[in-house]
Amino acid sequence: MKQRHIFGDVLALLGYALLRRRAGRQVTASERSERPRLEAYYVGVLVAFAAFLVAWTAWQNQREHESAARPPVRVDVSSFLWCWAFSYPQAPERRTVSGSCRGDDLPTLVVPTGHPVQLRLTSRDVIHSLWVPHLRYKMDAFPHHVNTFTLTLDREGRWMGKCAEFCGQRHRTMHFWIKAVSPEEYDKWLQGQQGAAV
Amino acid sequence: MTVAPPTEKSDIGGRPVPPSGWLGWVTSTDHKRIGLLTAGTSFVLFVGMGTLALTMRAQLAQPEQELVSSHLYNQLFTIHGSGMIYLVFTPFALGMGVYLVPLQIGAPGIAMARLTLLGYWFYALGAAVMLAGFATPLRAHADGWFSYPPMADSVHSPGTGTDLWIAGVFLATTGTIIMGWTVLRKRTYGMTMLRLPVFSWSMIVSCLMVIGAFPALLAALGLLAVGRADPSMFDQNVWNIGYQHLFWFYGHPVVYVMFFPYLAAVAEVLAVFSGRRFFGYKGTVLSLLVFAALSMSVWGHHMFATGQATNDYYSLTSIALLVPAGVEYFAMVGTILGGRLRLAPPMLFALAFIPQFLIGGLTGIMVGTPVIDYHVTDSYFVVAHLHYVLFAGSAFGLFGAVYFWFPKVTGVMLGHRLGRLRFWLLVLGTNVTFLPMFALGYLGMPRRISSYASFEGFGWLNLLSSIGAAFLAAAMTVFAVNVLWTLRKRTLGSAEKAPDDPWGGHTLEWATSSPPPRLNFTPDHPVPPVTSFAPLLDLRQKQKEETAADRSRP
Ligand SMILES: [Cu+2]
Repeated sequence: MKQRHIFGDVLALLGYALLRRRAGRQVTASERSERPRLEAYYVGVLVAFAAFLVAWTAWQNQREHESAARPPVRVDVSSFLWCWAFSYPQAPERRTVSGSCRGDDLPTLVVPTGHPVQLRLTSRDVIHSLWVPHLRYKMDAFPHHVNTFTLTLDREGRWMGKCAEFCGQRHRTMHFWIKAVSPEEYDKWLQGQQGAAV
Repeated sequence: MTVAPPTEKSDIGGRPVPPSGWLGWVTSTDHKRIGLLTAGTSFVLFVGMGTLALTMRAQLAQPEQELVSSHLYNQLFTIHGSGMIYLVFTPFALGMGVYLVPLQIGAPGIAMARLTLLGYWFYALGAAVMLAGFATPLRAHADGWFSYPPMADSVHSPGTGTDLWIAGVFLATTGTIIMGWTVLRKRTYGMTMLRLPVFSWSMIVSCLMVIGAFPALLAALGLLAVGRADPSMFDQNVWNIGYQHLFWFYGHPVVYVMFFPYLAAVAEVLAVFSGRRFFGYKGTVLSLLVFAALSMSVWGHHMFATGQATNDYYSLTSIALLVPAGVEYFAMVGTILGGRLRLAPPMLFALAFIPQFLIGGLTGIMVGTPVIDYHVTDSYFVVAHLHYVLFAGSAFGLFGAVYFWFPKVTGVMLGHRLGRLRFWLLVLGTNVTFLPMFALGYLGMPRRISSYASFEGFGWLNLLSSIGAAFLAAAMTVFAVNVLWTLRKRTLGSAEKAPDDPWGGHTLEWATSSPPPRLNFTPDHPVPPVTSFAPLLDLRQKQKEETAADRSRP
């Protein structure tokens, strides 16, 4: 990352100054108070670098929001004090999975691998935030407002999700599981066959 | 040009002879006393807020601990964060400004001393009101320093603690706005704008931000107060998200108010202990102004994860901040590169500030970039980032400033040996405490959790961080001992007396006696001619040239 370079450069200059410019080494202090030409070039470089970063970020933002070609799998996520509920509007019978988030009673969000999954996120009370550290993504859940985002999981597995927005007493245990299964298994599970997936 | 201080009451803003005793202090219209009072009050609060943080670090040292209940823990982080931001770093910065700016511009007092004093009173009252929350039946407010509704409404945060928190923050912020206003309304006595020392400039810019942005916090708090009376208000999303917009419109500039004065103190220290003029003065002044203007356009980058902020716009303005920041670093590093460095305690703090604040700044660019921010926001990564900015950065500038101006303010020197010991303890403590938090956040530890399960694997990093906090406690103890011991010796008359200018300073405050007299400059200690932003350096160079010329004459 560029950040490391900048940090390294400043550290090197600092080290140089400490080694070479200590009063003990009989150096004389410069009487110059500015070097306008050098400063102008430097500002030019900074501006160019900033412009590059802006473009790069805008491009990344764009990519983040690109919608997938295939129709996504939809999951409605509802957060509340202090747990989660996941419902699957595309299931033949409306299916809702929830829990108490006490001890091991964590709800599991089941998604198919390789498919874009659209989460529609809201809250029944205060602001929460859905965070899956493994996916490096989070999105706030507001009451009286729906936030939407799409994710695609490429491999099967189970990861922990958390609430990232402070919400009081049991905020710290407001966890859930996100489980990615093969599309076939997902379909089976959606049809309501017990034993599959969860 | 030399200006003899005027002696008439109307000119000096207050009584010429300071009354004695504590009553004399709290009613003084001497800007130096008000400044010291403000800085002293915020320092006592700093120690208190630090103690809350140590309790939290103890609680988090091991997984699944129950040293404090989760309700108490929530109060601890709320009051720690609110206290440090509203009651410590912001007022301390303004207190320094109230003390130093009139001296640096060669004025005998502050323009509206009574108003400044009123500002202090508001601030002190606000602090008392906020802390009084601990004495209420449901204890203190427990919803974090930004207290979003609806979590902060009367349904989800019942109890008077929250009301007191709102009132306290409101009062303290009103106090800082009043103080900021009076620092701006100073008298310049013919000193041109481009001859103002960097520190005075930073105060001007900070006060502009205080006046421009702090009223937004008052509005947000007003909104919260109304919503607590009628919680159905927060059934509409517009008020919930509107609060966040108002809050962060204040919330980003306040970071710079808590940063510029300390950065500028570091700049003054770097220049003095490098034995040269501050390098790139004009660029720095310009960058401070650009910074201040941009600071009011980036608030949305605190809200990327809300899904209700225009990401492209806010990431653009946030990235633009990199330009003025780069200019300031250029000036600081340029100053020491051409200098002749003396490593006295103030300089040690100023030098450590450079790389440590840089970590805070660079990770700030990361969290200002939406793709990264989505992962790390509201996690310990952000906790680490803001502590690198405020503690590894601003607090180091603050302590550098204290070591630097202590002889001027008290008239005695602060022990060097303890100063060095304290410095190394603080550097070690700071980095051991806050570096592991970056990793913790990245690995998935959310902020504001009172405990975590063992299987999550956060244990050893948290333990490391808590060990670092113990070093911080030791460093602060050494500092307190050093200061109290020195002041005690001063009372006994056995402390090392400080000369007028112990460090070879550049700015006008070093031309007067230590401590400065009531009206700052006297006929014995007149204001020297102001020829640039480093008038005392000019004077010394002129004298050197004259003696050289004398010698060369046969
Ligand atoms: Cu929550």
